[in-house]
Amino acid sequence: MQVKGLHSGYGKVPILHDVSFHIDERETVAVIGPNGAGKSTLLKTIAGLVKLTSGELYFDGHNITGTSPDQLVRLGIALVPEGGRPFANMSVIDNLRMGAYSKREVLKTGVLDELFEIFPRLKERAKQMARTLSGGERQMLAIARGLVSRPKMIMLDEPSLGLAPNLVDEIYEKICALRNELGLTVLLIEQNTNYALELASRCYVLENGRIVMEGSSAEMSGSEHIKKHYLGL
Amino acid sequence: MTETAIQGIITGVLMGMIYALIALGISIIFGVMNVVNFAHGDFVMFSMYLSYVLGTALVWDAVQTPLLTFPILLIFGLIVYYLIIDRTLRQLYVVQLAATVGLQIMMRAAALVIWRGQPRALQYSFIQGNFEIFGFQVLTSRFVAAVISLIFIAAVAYFMNKTWAGAAMRAASDDLDAATLMGVNYHRTYALTFALGSALTAIAGGLLMSFQQTDPVGGIRFGFLSWCVLALAGLGSIPGLIAAGAIVGVAESLQVTFFNPQGRLLAVYAIFILVLWLKPRGLFGRK
Repeated sequence: MQVKGLHSGYGKVPILHDVSFHIDERETVAVIGPNGAGKSTLLKTIAGLVKLTSGELYFDGHNITGTSPDQLVRLGIALVPEGGRPFANMSVIDNLRMGAYSKREVLKTGVLDELFEIFPRLKERAKQMARTLSGGERQMLAIARGLVSRPKMIMLDEPSLGLAPNLVDEIYEKICALRNELGLTVLLIEQNTNYALELASRCYVLENGRIVMEGSSAEMSGSEHIKKHYLGL
Repeated sequence: MTETAIQGIITGVLMGMIYALIALGISIIFGVMNVVNFAHGDFVMFSMYLSYVLGTALVWDAVQTPLLTFPILLIFGLIVYYLIIDRTLRQLYVVQLAATVGLQIMMRAAALVIWRGQPRALQYSFIQGNFEIFGFQVLTSRFVAAVISLIFIAAVAYFMNKTWAGAAMRAASDDLDAATLMGVNYHRTYALTFALGSALTAIAGGLLMSFQQTDPVGGIRFGFLSWCVLALAGLGSIPGLIAAGAIVGVAESLQVTFFNPQGRLLAVYAIFILVLWLKPRGLFGRK
């Protein structure tokens, strides 16, 4: 995955300025940054929800600039949006099926059974409406829904948002296990810098819509700027 | 007294099933697209005229005419969607309101121009007479209309719950951005929703023409009635919609039986206002 000179925003309000970065296959990369830096906009632009003003996106050798969301799903990109956002008035199983909306043939590969094995709690609640789930279960459902289409790359928008610390640990353990088991490429956005640096091998820092730093997670953890502004040390 | 009342209730419940069918159209359009189609009642009026024209020309029974009016209304719904509704989606709410109210006025004026002011009715129906249940008279045409309405309500429920297109509609209704992420093209889903909602008025129109006449201003009554049903039912519950249809039908029927038939909507509006006041989300709804 490669992003070159990306500019994007809402209407006439520019949010991202000349953002370039890359993620190698099966690599986990985190983008950290303060609230309002444009992290969510970055993911939404890659996923095709927000139109980019200029720049180019490449995935798996394809130029995916301006590709529609259904085509992106078919190419193997999935986004788990901020807060998970499962379909509240649909059952858990229907939510998961919606994950295959653009790639219906995957349902015949037993993907739901596999996901139920990884997330046994979702199996117990398969018939329940998503609105009856707890916050942690909703986030699990959203991640599982993103994985139904068997993506090569999954983008996670603040999976820790609004969850109790013990649940955040659980979610991150799941993400880590899934990544290793499925050989996923992961693009993670997180305000919770500790978790981001632990999961990712490399890290970019986004401030005011620009990438201001990049480096391996180890380098980042040692950086004075990161220590001061992000880790509160 | 009680017998007259029970008779009124039977008539009202049967009529209420058609109201529920009409309201189902407005309910899926509002529920999925968050669009209020003020012209919905006039779609019913238009469908009734179509049934009249086709029934007269082909010597068909009113109940048969939806075979043709259903596809016509599907296409009409698609045209209205792409020509008008799709352009108002990201606009101010007032633009949407002006667009559908304008459509309503246009349709009524067009009906006046084409069919003049006088009411039209189909001459003959092979569904005649009445039958008796526990000593109460039931008009066969009303009974058939209620059964067909229920069948189509069930068919729509099946469509929404068991097909990919229906799932896309439910997902778009819950969270448009998340649905888009799954690859749902909302323009297409909305177009289908609007066309389906419109085409349901074709069924209702055919059924209504099997026992009553149509006139150019009759649409507004069906529009208001379906809003009352929807307000009572709330969004997202099909059994709730059927129950609400029955309540509205019975209120109307009892008003006609015991009070002044001229003010047949009075009781309906009284219930409408009461429900909006006490339970603004409807009696059976979820949102």
